[in-house]
Amino acid sequence: MKRIFDSQLIGPFAAMMIVALVVALTTERFLNPGNLSNLSLQVSIVALIAIGSTIVIFAAGIDLSSGSMVALLTMILAQVLKFMGIPLMMAVPLILIVGGLLGFVLGAITAYGRIPAFITTLAALIAFRGLALTFNNGSPIFSLDPALEPLFYGKVAGIPMPFFYLVFFYGLAAFIMNFTKLGREIYAVGGNPAAAVLTGINVRKVQTMTFVIAGFMTAVGAVLMSARLNSGSPNYGQTLELQAIAAAVVGGASLAGGRGNILATLMGAMTIVIVQNGLNLNAAPSSVQNIVLGAIILLAVGIDMWRTELSATIGRLFGHSDQPASRASSAKPATSKDS
Amino acid sequence: MDQNRTPLWEFVDVSKAYPGVLANDKVCIKLLDGSIHGLLGENGCGKSTLIKTLSGVQQPDSGQILYKGKATHIGDPQDARDKGIATVFQEFSIVPTLSVGENIFLGNMPRNRFGVIDWKQVNTSAASVLAEMEVDIDPEAITGNLSVGEQQLVEIAKAVAMKARMIILDEPTAALGEDEIERLHALLRKMRGQGTAILYVSHRLDEVERIVDEVTILRSGRVVRASGETEINVSEIVSAMVGEDIAEHYPKEQNASAEIVLTASNLSTKNGVENVSFDLHKGEVLGLGGVLGSGRTEIARALFGVDTLTGGNVTLNGKLLKVRHEIDAIDAGLALVPENRKFDGLFFNFRASGNITAASLGGLSRLGVLNLKSEEAGTHKLIEELEISPQAEQKTVNFLSGGNQQKIVIARWLFSDSKVLIFDEPTQGIDIGAKIAVYKLINALTRAGKSIILISSDHDELLAMSDRIAVVQHGSISRTVPASDLTHDDLVRASATQMDYTATEERQ
Repeated sequence: MKRIFDSQLIGPFAAMMIVALVVALTTERFLNPGNLSNLSLQVSIVALIAIGSTIVIFAAGIDLSSGSMVALLTMILAQVLKFMGIPLMMAVPLILIVGGLLGFVLGAITAYGRIPAFITTLAALIAFRGLALTFNNGSPIFSLDPALEPLFYGKVAGIPMPFFYLVFFYGLAAFIMNFTKLGREIYAVGGNPAAAVLTGINVRKVQTMTFVIAGFMTAVGAVLMSARLNSGSPNYGQTLELQAIAAAVVGGASLAGGRGNILATLMGAMTIVIVQNGLNLNAAPSSVQNIVLGAIILLAVGIDMWRTELSATIGRLFGHSDQPASRASSAKPATSKDS
Repeated sequence: MDQNRTPLWEFVDVSKAYPGVLANDKVCIKLLDGSIHGLLGENGCGKSTLIKTLSGVQQPDSGQILYKGKATHIGDPQDARDKGIATVFQEFSIVPTLSVGENIFLGNMPRNRFGVIDWKQVNTSAASVLAEMEVDIDPEAITGNLSVGEQQLVEIAKAVAMKARMIILDEPTAALGEDEIERLHALLRKMRGQGTAILYVSHRLDEVERIVDEVTILRSGRVVRASGETEINVSEIVSAMVGEDIAEHYPKEQNASAEIVLTASNLSTKNGVENVSFDLHKGEVLGLGGVLGSGRTEIARALFGVDTLTGGNVTLNGKLLKVRHEIDAIDAGLALVPENRKFDGLFFNFRASGNITAASLGGLSRLGVLNLKSEEAGTHKLIEELEISPQAEQKTVNFLSGGNQQKIVIARWLFSDSKVLIFDEPTQGIDIGAKIAVYKLINALTRAGKSIILISSDHDELLAMSDRIAVVQHGSISRTVPASDLTHDDLVRASATQMDYTATEERQ
């Protein structure tokens, strides 16, 4: 367990607690049970998608496609539920598979086609939104299935369902990243792809796998989005990809790859949502919310950069301290044979 | 050398402390004009600190800096340049996308009367600087397209253009081939003739013997030896640097047996490997000799499956080796310790354990789940055996010294239990103590019945540590002979033949 809860969690956890404290002190209703339960609903979709975004980032990739993919997948789900009569029990797994497949395609184009992930997924961001509009003449599809909503609003022992999804998927992701060969390979590929090749790691396969995971998690998010609103819409998920990346970054994942803790992403997502919630409760306009979100991202990355620099300075000063100092004592004093 | 004349620059009892380390402890050094002064010592001995002080990057805590016998101080790097001190750091400061002329005059571009850069002047001035140096480089060439050696010369041209009287060279030959080193040395001798003072920092002791007039050796921040021309002797230098008497600089053990482990027959690749055949015995070190670009690294790449074979085959333990991907080579028991540790070897985001097990994740996991306990135990054992800094278990490897990093890369292939290890320049850029540790490791490996293919540009090392040497020229092995039958001169001559050949080829 020590491996999972390492020092990389301290910063994001502290940031989350400080933000929560500030909001709690300034906003009366923040600590109401109703509001806290609402928070876990609010954070769930972005936090689940952020699992995939973060894992892609760990392998030094980036996924900009998730917001549009959510829209596309909610439309596909709505289509099959409403117009094709496919039962929910089959439709949900189908969407998860489609999400994984879309991720596979993006990953393969990136890894085997050697197109930068930024470009592949930027293209997908635009194209998926367009694809979503090809369903139902571009109109949203409402009232899909009464059995859909409990997936999001249902409760077990008084605890909202999304809480269990978060525990399950973050637990699974933490297990994969810390205890499996795949997780280790993802960090290795992100850390140094050239070295990974020479140690026999199949870099392209690993990169592709991260996008499959991202596609799958995006599909989980899409199903919950549909369940939340009992509908599908080509307009869902706008800027969701950026929020997911922001959660990863606020959680301390390095965009250069190789470094970060998946659980910190959950804290990053929580931090963002708590701030949004606080602003909401204080009736701040959405313009202010966006400005604050931008500032948080800058601050989080800034602190990370300064921290890296700080430790680099310390590294420079003490990096050679393993040089045995005792040798100095045996050194003969300087002889000046030349004079 | 007249030791009584006033030095151009002199340090008297200069000290500099960093938190926890006294990096320079009352250092005295005299830098004479018209003299090449070697500065030696292990990593962390205080060489960089001395260079930084002299180039104005930092201020000393105490002591005096004398210029032509008068006390002065060097305020900042610009001040150092104004005082005629030019520093060529290990990491070049040239801009690869700019032309040679632009780089030479960067920050000091000749302008015409409208304040616009006078390109004609840039190119003619650059050409005259390069001509003065007797270097054949086009001032309008894009610097990034030049070879590393030529880039190094451009770097020096910057110093010449600013009419530096004192030039500091930090490991100038680390990335150069034999012919490029020769060119650099010729240039330095010429500059010495013109009265320039040169401070020359290097790990390559054979070079030091060849080029320097005086030597100062630092250990743990102190000057342990300063010597004049006649006294420079490699083994003395080594023991002064390390601080122990090293009975043998190259502790070679004879572990080769008659049993053949690997046979390469008529290997060819598109990359210039032509009809290469050799046998490798159990416990043997087979050296590949030849200059940079002769095809040594390409042969290693062909064996390891990085480059596809266009002809020939490899058998390992009697079985035909089919390598489509690096994984196949690793599974068969081959290992490559790459030349460029930083770029191709290490995962800086991992501690020692992650680095050591990176090539063995398959064997370390069941159904994709890693056995972390056996990872920790296995790597802990290797860290102790190889005397890697215990810090390596707690910290990511970017905090470790070059020697420790190199041991970790090698430990990776001990963990994976490889049968044949290819070492490409295993001691480049690491200090003498760490080099000896690598040699001992080579002995330990061969003693355990593993076979090694050693690629090295350090001729002395290659001759001393190999059982047999295959001389590589133009991608082919010209002959394979016992190392004891070859001399340093033979290898140099083989290299020279290659150069003549390449030169005539280019002219045709």
